[in-house]
Amino acid sequence: MTKKSHPNKTTTHFPPIALTGSGYKGMTLLKWLEEDPRFSKVIFLNYKKPQLKLKKTKFYKIDLTETLADLQLSKIFKKEKIHTVVHTAMPITPPRNVSRAHELLSVGSMYVTNAAASAKVKKLILTSTTDVYGAFPNNPNYLTEEHPARAAQRSRFLADKIDAEKYFLRFGKNPGCTATIIRSATILGPTINSYKTRYFSLPFVHTILGYDPLVQFTHEEDLMQSYRLVIENNHPGIFNIASSGVLPLSKAIQMMGKINVPLLLLGLKTLVQTLWYLNISPAPSSHIDYLKYLCVAAIDKAQKQMGFQPKYSCIDALMDFVGAERLRHVNLYTETGVTS
Amino acid sequence: MKQKKQAPHLSLVKNAPTEKPTWIPPLNVEEISSRLDLLWQQINHYFLRIEKKLDDKSVVQRHEEITQEIKNLKSLLAKQTHDNTLPIIEKKPHTHNTILNGVQSLIKKVIQKIPFLGRPLLNAEELSLEKSFDPFGRDPEFEQKLKPFFDFMYYRYWRISTHGLENIPSDGRALLVGNHSGTLPWDGSMLRVAVSNDHPSQRDVRFLVEDFVYYLPFVGTYMYRVGGVRASRDNAERLLESDHLVAVFPEGVKGIGKHYSKRYHLQRFGRGGFIKLALKTNSPIIPVGIIGAEEIHPIIYKSSFLAKPLGIPYIPITPTLPWLGPLGFIPLPSKWSIFFGEPIDLSKYGKKALKDELLIHQLSEMVRQNIQKMITEELKKRRSVWTG
Repeated sequence: MTKKSHPNKTTTHFPPIALTGSGYKGMTLLKWLEEDPRFSKVIFLNYKKPQLKLKKTKFYKIDLTETLADLQLSKIFKKEKIHTVVHTAMPITPPRNVSRAHELLSVGSMYVTNAAASAKVKKLILTSTTDVYGAFPNNPNYLTEEHPARAAQRSRFLADKIDAEKYFLRFGKNPGCTATIIRSATILGPTINSYKTRYFSLPFVHTILGYDPLVQFTHEEDLMQSYRLVIENNHPGIFNIASSGVLPLSKAIQMMGKINVPLLLLGLKTLVQTLWYLNISPAPSSHIDYLKYLCVAAIDKAQKQMGFQPKYSCIDALMDFVGAERLRHVNLYTETGVTS
Repeated sequence: MKQKKQAPHLSLVKNAPTEKPTWIPPLNVEEISSRLDLLWQQINHYFLRIEKKLDDKSVVQRHEEITQEIKNLKSLLAKQTHDNTLPIIEKKPHTHNTILNGVQSLIKKVIQKIPFLGRPLLNAEELSLEKSFDPFGRDPEFEQKLKPFFDFMYYRYWRISTHGLENIPSDGRALLVGNHSGTLPWDGSMLRVAVSNDHPSQRDVRFLVEDFVYYLPFVGTYMYRVGGVRASRDNAERLLESDHLVAVFPEGVKGIGKHYSKRYHLQRFGRGGFIKLALKTNSPIIPVGIIGAEEIHPIIYKSSFLAKPLGIPYIPITPTLPWLGPLGFIPLPSKWSIFFGEPIDLSKYGKKALKDELLIHQLSEMVRQNIQKMITEELKKRRSVWTG
């Protein structure tokens, strides 16, 4: 059911937009696109039908891990005359199936960019994370977009994300095309559910003895604001997105009223890696670095060029997250988190 | 109580002498004052929250009025007690009984950490981001706890005297460039204490710390909490652009690891990174000469044995280290003095000088000579290492 533009309405209408991914980021974007009348044509591409009731959105079943997915995509893009593609099929939580993750993140992104290039799509938006910079002791306190993404050395999952970014940047070099990459810090808020929120919702939150890095969060609303800004206007390039401020990890745990359990680093990596293979640990051992060293991004560029203004602070994001979690315990907050 | 009723505080003043036997004055005054404080805190808290949301001028005005009124009430209360010569129980300053207080707060913390027994330590509503968390990881609370110790080292142990503090501007950015010495980098934190204690506007100095420190557990975190920042161009630029005072020691590890016979011989000043920094951010350079720090851990020999696995550049051998074990980390009580030279303004060279590597090297050498000269002059006058 596509809405026809009203001639008496002066609001601008956006060209056809396609969306991939059914994680937290994809679903929130889909909800917004469904409700916003300025988007007359929305295409949703995913390997399974979303639970959300779709009113105007057209759904195409596509599995990015299949071969020739690029051909199918290109056909759809051409048929629907897509102008913008938002690629959110970039899971926040490292998938258990490592080889499928590689196919989806790295190869899937290549398919999307190639299909977009052949179908003359004008604009691509990729949702990435500030984790790609990697947590290193010699990071500057505020990582800018020019800083090399060094996480590939340690984590295969993040190396795939960096690959995806490279494909998008390559697409952005085509004349008349825009590629935007949104690198967001750890997303927190009432509805998200990722391995990081699961980490923070443990009653005993483990940290590493002797290390207490500064951490940074993105409130769900702030993230949404940045997506809106890049969809509505053209902002080529990479942008870091986060809520204002930073706080030490230990203080964040204290503020949530949880108990901080410092663990000895000795042998921890092996243990976590073993637990990861046994499907117990939520993330592979390379993610321990983020509990040890700094990985905080500067959002100056987004503020100056995009006009992004964080409405929340990191503490607000943390408190919104922990408040919703407490309400869920007493069944007063029924909306379950979107797994991502 | 047949006298005519006036404003409550006035009636208190008048009635107090006659009613004296019936009420317990010292307790009451103290209590009233503390209740006023509490009330004020609550009101302030709510006002701040409202102001944050509303942005209404009348609310701000009312806030100021109420603040003034409470101030007046408090001063009246103080006056009244003074007139009636009632003993005021003065609050003891926090520095007394620090050990006892420390133990007490530790017990409190332990209890609070036990679930069901204690409430969480920090209440998010009481914290505002700007006040409690520094964007570079400094923890004001933690620093406050360490302050008595640093003050002891500053005033009693090394009896540090400062000269030329007026050369530091009371606001705006500046780059403090100093000589580095002392095996363990005490000079950075002492420079920080010097400016925050003795400078009239009590400015906050952020010192840049060698990379390797942040690889180490505990030490890296500690350095961030007490105001150190990892030495990188990004960090320094960001700090200077937000009008901070930044202290750099361009000699780096070469400076603190000098052999004792080379004391007060300034080493090469890096690759002139600090000059580029000053040119780029247009900040004046204030040369700083630190005398006395060379003698706290005189290095006899540098050992590279075991240094690499420990993640440090070398292991210093001094008269105390490592022979006395942990006691060897106690520095010797030399007499220190810190000299702040006149600011060097580089703005006349402009931004195009950034590309002129030769000029940058010359400027860096000029600053080095300046500090060396300052130190040499002062060493000429020094009679003793221990008494200055």
